[in-house]
Amino acid sequence: MRRFTRNRPGPNNVDAVLVTQSLISGIMMGMVYALLSVGFSLTWGVMHVIHISHAAFGLLGAYLAYSLLEYLGIDPVVSAALSAPLLFITACGVYQLLIKPITRAKEVIVASMILTFGLAIILENVMVLIWKADPRIMTPVYASGALIVGPFYFQYPHLVGFGLSLVGITAIYLFLKKTYTGMAVRAAWQQPEAAQLYGVNLYRISMITFALAVSTAGAGGIGLALLNSFEPHSHNLWLIYLFLVVIVGGVGNVVGTALAGLLIGVVTGLSMAFLPFQWVNLVTFGLLMVFLVFRPHGLFTEGV
Amino acid sequence: MQRLRYATLAVITILLAVFPVLKPEVYYLSFTFSVFMYVILAASWNFIGGYTGYLSFGHAAFFGIGAFATAKMAAVFDLTPAMTILATIPAGVLAAIVALIVGYPCLKIRGPYFAVVTLCFAFVVDLAVKNIELLGGAEGLWMKTMDFPEQMSRSIMYEVMLVLMIITLAVSWWLGRSRFGAGLTAIRADEEVAETMGVPTARLKIQAFVLSAFFPGIAGGLFAYYLTYIHPDVVFNVNISILIVLMAMFGGGGTWLGPIIGAVILTVVNEGLSTFAQAEIARIIYGALFIIVTIFMPNGIIDFFRKKNR
Repeated sequence: MRRFTRNRPGPNNVDAVLVTQSLISGIMMGMVYALLSVGFSLTWGVMHVIHISHAAFGLLGAYLAYSLLEYLGIDPVVSAALSAPLLFITACGVYQLLIKPITRAKEVIVASMILTFGLAIILENVMVLIWKADPRIMTPVYASGALIVGPFYFQYPHLVGFGLSLVGITAIYLFLKKTYTGMAVRAAWQQPEAAQLYGVNLYRISMITFALAVSTAGAGGIGLALLNSFEPHSHNLWLIYLFLVVIVGGVGNVVGTALAGLLIGVVTGLSMAFLPFQWVNLVTFGLLMVFLVFRPHGLFTEGV
Repeated sequence: MQRLRYATLAVITILLAVFPVLKPEVYYLSFTFSVFMYVILAASWNFIGGYTGYLSFGHAAFFGIGAFATAKMAAVFDLTPAMTILATIPAGVLAAIVALIVGYPCLKIRGPYFAVVTLCFAFVVDLAVKNIELLGGAEGLWMKTMDFPEQMSRSIMYEVMLVLMIITLAVSWWLGRSRFGAGLTAIRADEEVAETMGVPTARLKIQAFVLSAFFPGIAGGLFAYYLTYIHPDVVFNVNISILIVLMAMFGGGGTWLGPIIGAVILTVVNEGLSTFAQAEIARIIYGALFIIVTIFMPNGIIDFFRKKNR
């Protein structure tokens, strides 16, 4: 909870430095939201599965990185690279065991929401059992350092989280644009029947999408853990941000999700600077409601 | 067959009504009280979520609004116990009015988007109440207790909740066979087609949403008076919203019996687990239950057994 210690001037002595500073922190935060959300957006768009436990998997990634750092001194960035394949394999198993059986249900979306809600409860309580319910902070060696440029300061953990997210998002984007499997994922999103006719195995594509989404969630969770403190039930709040980012960005839209993440980061960054803390979430949720009512299909209606 | 069914219902109702006369332990009264409450919540959620197919994930908001409205009215007007119980009706009306205002824009959006907007609505109401000093803010509100022995006051609340449950279920049962209910089912099946066939979809949806907010409002008021202390974290808890949805879907949405079965089973399981197992383990088993049910009974318990009998 480092950011609460910052002085918060009232609205009457607004100055340009503070605005710029909160804009920049907002952009950093937003990039992390984007990485956390991009997989959620893909599973929703491609598989019509609303993966409620997505944020819980992100939190699991954060806890893994926390333990690796505490006990073995491994840097969170390395942990992100290590946890990605681990979560990928786990997610493949989850898909085969739990998600695949319900893709034939009458209402996949509803069924998936209930099922993954159950999964989120399980994950949350497993995390309580292993790591206890106390809030945790990721403290890599550079935790207290900051890069100072003129009047602005950038805390190193924030910069690392931002960089990690930027790399993650770019990797997903390139995967979807350049690789054959990525193109098959996009085809399955746009025209599932036609894609199947052209020999795309929808089950295999769904499994890859799901597993990829979960492993990016792990990296996103680590990124968010570098920015904020976290506890086993934090994933509920993260989930709200996921919904916000994905709905503003348009379901299944990677570029849209990235832009929406930045936008929401900036909005929360600014409201954190100028509003009492308890109103920040109110602004976020109010904003999401307004968006859902007026632009339910997002700001950016273009494809992946 | 039909007569037998009515007779069974009458017998169950009478048995439930005379239960407090046997002077059971207060624990059993409290437990049955909460079962009734969840039956009311799940059954009234079913009006919009089950029959109409609009999954509201924000029903705790109406429950909480009813609770806070009742507590505030009781404090401001210094109401007697009987009047406090009656004050839950205007509290329910308030919840219904809020539903009318919120439902008008929100019911235009569909599917998961509606689910998310209602979830957000519940968060907004929760945070707003916490920030309003008049409503006790983050400290919550206290209510005066009844001047009766505990057994007596618990029995009174039990009976009142039972009456409310019977009314809710009667409305739910009527909904299943009325023109109104048929219109709602048409919306769930295919909203465009229903619209083309001349079903006034916009009006019916609003009516169903308002009706489904009214009963949780009253139940919230009764719950507040039962606990005599309310806090936003308790009555606006997002888990209540989700639990309501799960209970109705678990039993089988769109039937009048489904929410009853779902609410009874899940409340009993939850209570049993929290008594006999460590809290985290209990929650894990609870979570696993949702997974098992969605995989093996994707359309609810009722549907599962109907298919078996066929």
